[in-house]
Amino acid sequence: MTGGMVQTRATLVERRVIGAVHELRLHDPRLAARLGAGQAVLVRTGWGMIPYLRRSFYPIAIAADSWVLRLPPDGDLGHAWLRLAPEGSELDCLGPVGIGFRLPDGVRRVLALGEGEAAWTLLPVVVEADAFQLAVALAAEVITPRQAIPPARLPAAVEYRLTTVEGGRGRLDAFWAELLPWADVVVAAGSLAFYRRLAEAIREHRFVITRGFAQVLYPATFLCGTGACLACVADVAGGRRRVCLRGPVFDLTDVVSDR
Amino acid sequence: MPIELAPRNKRGLPLRSPVMAGSGAVGYGDCWPPGLDPRAFGAIVTAGVTMRPRSGREPPRLAELPLGFLLATGDHNPGYRRVVAQYAELWRRLGVPVILSLLGAEPGDRAWMATRLEEDDPGIAGIELPVPEDVNLGEASAFIAAVRRATTLPLLVRLPATRAAHLAETCVVAGADALVIGTPPPVVYPAPDGTPLEGPLAGPTALPFTLRGLRAVAALHLDVPLIASGGIQKAEDALLCLRWGAVAVQIRSLVWTDPAAAMHVAESVHAAFAADSPEG
Ligand code: FES
Repeated sequence: MTGGMVQTRATLVERRVIGAVHELRLHDPRLAARLGAGQAVLVRTGWGMIPYLRRSFYPIAIAADSWVLRLPPDGDLGHAWLRLAPEGSELDCLGPVGIGFRLPDGVRRVLALGEGEAAWTLLPVVVEADAFQLAVALAAEVITPRQAIPPARLPAAVEYRLTTVEGGRGRLDAFWAELLPWADVVVAAGSLAFYRRLAEAIREHRFVITRGFAQVLYPATFLCGTGACLACVADVAGGRRRVCLRGPVFDLTDVVSDR
Repeated sequence: MPIELAPRNKRGLPLRSPVMAGSGAVGYGDCWPPGLDPRAFGAIVTAGVTMRPRSGREPPRLAELPLGFLLATGDHNPGYRRVVAQYAELWRRLGVPVILSLLGAEPGDRAWMATRLEEDDPGIAGIELPVPEDVNLGEASAFIAAVRRATTLPLLVRLPATRAAHLAETCVVAGADALVIGTPPPVVYPAPDGTPLEGPLAGPTALPFTLRGLRAVAALHLDVPLIASGGIQKAEDALLCLRWGAVAVQIRSLVWTDPAAAMHVAESVHAAFAADSPEG
């Protein structure tokens, strides 16, 4: 009864290995038809019930009959299983979870802002905005070059700014003054600290954070995805709320309090 | 033939199937995963409710364990008044018995809510009362008896799995219509960010605790129905619990992690139960 959510058997049809990163294309027409940018998919991984919990993924590409998940290098057991799964494997998927990015009517200039690996989750909304012939700029701040989205992965018309962080200091700050006044809407993916910096920058360069101007993907952990377990609860939108129902994409003003 | 969960209670609590959705598996009856609906279950137990709203534990709340997880919500809930106002209408038309789980922050809270339930009549079929891990026999007896005096609704008393045999008889004498065995033992484990979390074990790792508690309470022959809860992941787990003395089982983690498997358990166990019943 959770609107639109389905449990599917997706088939692993393609694996791209780029260095230590794997990208898996899953043939999954029923889920792909429902899935939007910024919505999560909970994937069962592993051997029997190990690990027990599903792994959450935000698709980095969505087609009519398939979607793509990205596996950065890490020590997670479920991700390790996915790295070894042969093509043709069937994966149990549950999704889409929650509310994703929405491009409001009337916007013409879309600014996508990403931090580290999370920047990849913006790819579907960047592609969607480009397909609507909106002007799109993507600015990403990465720790290592491996996290960076290669320009060739973006639609040709998308303007791309990439910075590499050294010593933990953000470098996107150099672009705020140019990009924030330009944009009609911002879509962002990163940490809560990144969103606080973004909020500061908007106050500085646009004077006020207007509701509806910036949408951000909340970094939550999901268990059920249906609102039942309360594992994903976060302090957002003026209260302690279930991210899987109210988000995971929120208005920036719901995530950082305005002054 | 239905299963009667409260044979000593005038109202009774008949279930058409022995598989119940455990506390909070489907929220307050409003959070259904794909492929599952009220027809899958003999009854549903709601998420816990306290007299006043509780904002619960601040995040993080979840830690993964080998073969399970630890979920520490801190009894986050909107409070009795809001829950009843928001869900009574849904409970009346859900088509499955709804059992309200009552949590108490203070002595007397649960009796207060039980009294209100008699007046509000929000369409529930029974109450589940979790007995806290650290209560002694006198405290358990006192709060169950207070709730018993406050309501005629069937009372399902949920026992801590590791103390079930110790507490069972006292709870029955105090007024329990059925015993749920039980809440798995609390453990401590770090969340992914290192925050120490404390809460009951959940997932398949809880099943041995359930089985131990169930066998020990079944051996007491207390003449109340027993309901097994904790760690049930497969139809075989549920059928084992039914063979070892339970008349019904509750599933929760499975509903959250694998709705299709939960449906399979519900259907298989219901089919086995129907085949075994005199009219089957
Ligand atoms: S993941 Fe269970 S309530 Fe959000």
